[in-house]
Amino acid sequence: MATIIHITLKGIFRDRVFQGIMVLAVLFLFIPSAASLSMRQMTELTTTLSLSLISFIMLLLAVFLGATSIWKDIERRYTFSVLSLPISRTTYLWGRFFGIALFMLMTTVFLGAMALIAIKAATFGYPPSRPVVWSTIIVTILFDALKYILVVAVAMLLATVSTSFFLPVFGAISVFLAGTATQPVYDYLQTPSVQAAVSVIVRKAAETLYYLLPNLSGFDLKVHAIYSIPFNVQGLILTSIYFAGYTLIILSIGSFLFAWREMK
Amino acid sequence: MSVLQRPVTALLVGLLAYGVVLGPFTAYMKQKPIEEKFGYLPSINVLRYVSVDHKELVGASLVMKVIMYFGGVAEKQQANVIVQPPDYARMSGILHGAVQLDPYNMDAYYFAQSFLTWEVKQYQMANNLLDYGMKYRTWDWMLPFFAGFNSAYFLKDYKQAAEYFKRAGEINGNELNISLAGRYMQASGQTELAIAYLGAMEKSERNQAVKKNYQIRLKAFNEVRRIELARDRYKNTEGVLPVTLDTLVRSGLLSPPPSDPYGGQFFLEPDGKVATTSKFTFAGAGNVSTPKVSK
Repeated sequence: MATIIHITLKGIFRDRVFQGIMVLAVLFLFIPSAASLSMRQMTELTTTLSLSLISFIMLLLAVFLGATSIWKDIERRYTFSVLSLPISRTTYLWGRFFGIALFMLMTTVFLGAMALIAIKAATFGYPPSRPVVWSTIIVTILFDALKYILVVAVAMLLATVSTSFFLPVFGAISVFLAGTATQPVYDYLQTPSVQAAVSVIVRKAAETLYYLLPNLSGFDLKVHAIYSIPFNVQGLILTSIYFAGYTLIILSIGSFLFAWREMK
Repeated sequence: MSVLQRPVTALLVGLLAYGVVLGPFTAYMKQKPIEEKFGYLPSINVLRYVSVDHKELVGASLVMKVIMYFGGVAEKQQANVIVQPPDYARMSGILHGAVQLDPYNMDAYYFAQSFLTWEVKQYQMANNLLDYGMKYRTWDWMLPFFAGFNSAYFLKDYKQAAEYFKRAGEINGNELNISLAGRYMQASGQTELAIAYLGAMEKSERNQAVKKNYQIRLKAFNEVRRIELARDRYKNTEGVLPVTLDTLVRSGLLSPPPSDPYGGQFFLEPDGKVATTSKFTFAGAGNVSTPKVSK
């Protein structure tokens, strides 16, 4: 598997993805000056903009790397040569996943460092109303990375059954959008007024989707980082276990589907 | 050569068209009414789902949109350009929406406080918004400080003001809030305290349009204070309240004559209270509906 991870990483760097990220990271330089428009919370706004920029870049990476990796291999017929090696399809799939996940983590470290520099620069301009808690920001960025690694897993699952990149790309984006909305929708449906107005079938359908789709709201800790609000440590542990469990399920299903897939 | 001829021609035509249109297009965008620039915004319930994991960013963008809109109108008003007064109802609605996306956004509360009270006189709405913010920004003494000021100065609810100031004092450990509360509760010397409040706000303000707004209001209240002092001196010497400001000016107690930076005329009400025809606004206050913040 280490070979596949190595090949995956090498391929991503060869495609100059990292150079693209570095170009986008130039935007971090402009964040403190954009945040100076704020009346009272320049540092908070810098943190908001930095975290959102990281999220945006990571989403693009997750969708395109996750969705195109396997599809590209099949399209270029690389899979035939790879799968003729003494490795299983599962090892190939998981190797690809861990390669992309590793790249996502490397990108997170790079973008995270840029964000911390931008936030530090902002604190010189106008002191925040509360002291910046750097560890909170780092944990927030890490959980953001986990969220997008989960999206990579979803995109790869879709790629195992798809013959084009449309399904994995648009499917991953749809799952991401739905995954961030399931918790607010679920909370909304639990309110007494809605329970009286909405039929049981609709509520049950929504509840099923709530448990079926990845709950990405749990990974969004931005508000803690921006306003230095302490974490619920138990919640973080539960979210980490949720990430591991959900990713394992997705990859396992992906492995089954990929093993059964007919290669022509 | 012929291979490059077409793209080069297309590029030249494109550059020519761009060069021709750039000036008029920029002028057109610059002249566009502020109300048009404010544009359409979807309902907050839609934005809540569309903004996915960028709720804080969308919340901050909404606040920025309102601040920039207000800055544009205020600068024109301050330059004596006749413009429609700011659409306070819309501004209030957007800020109420922004805090539903990010209930911690300080700019939203701070800016809403600055215009909901002085400009549109929706004191209770301002305090409801501040109450909502206090549930989240539990470390922030400014929100109860604002609410205390509104309760004492505008709503004359001294009991409630005392509670807010006490809370502010408990958060920042500063006796200033408590002493302010005590002075407010005497229901006297309100102009002096308003000057102190506005002075503190103006000093810490970074946004130039809002800062200028505070400066103008401060100037107006300093004039009010000057008239009040002259009025009190007149009453001490003559034993009766002056009927008009002219009396004070002629007696030499009020020199130079007061000037309202909002363009109005100061006058004395029958009970001696100082008032102005401008009501301390450039164009008079608009009406604001009462948006609610969901719990």
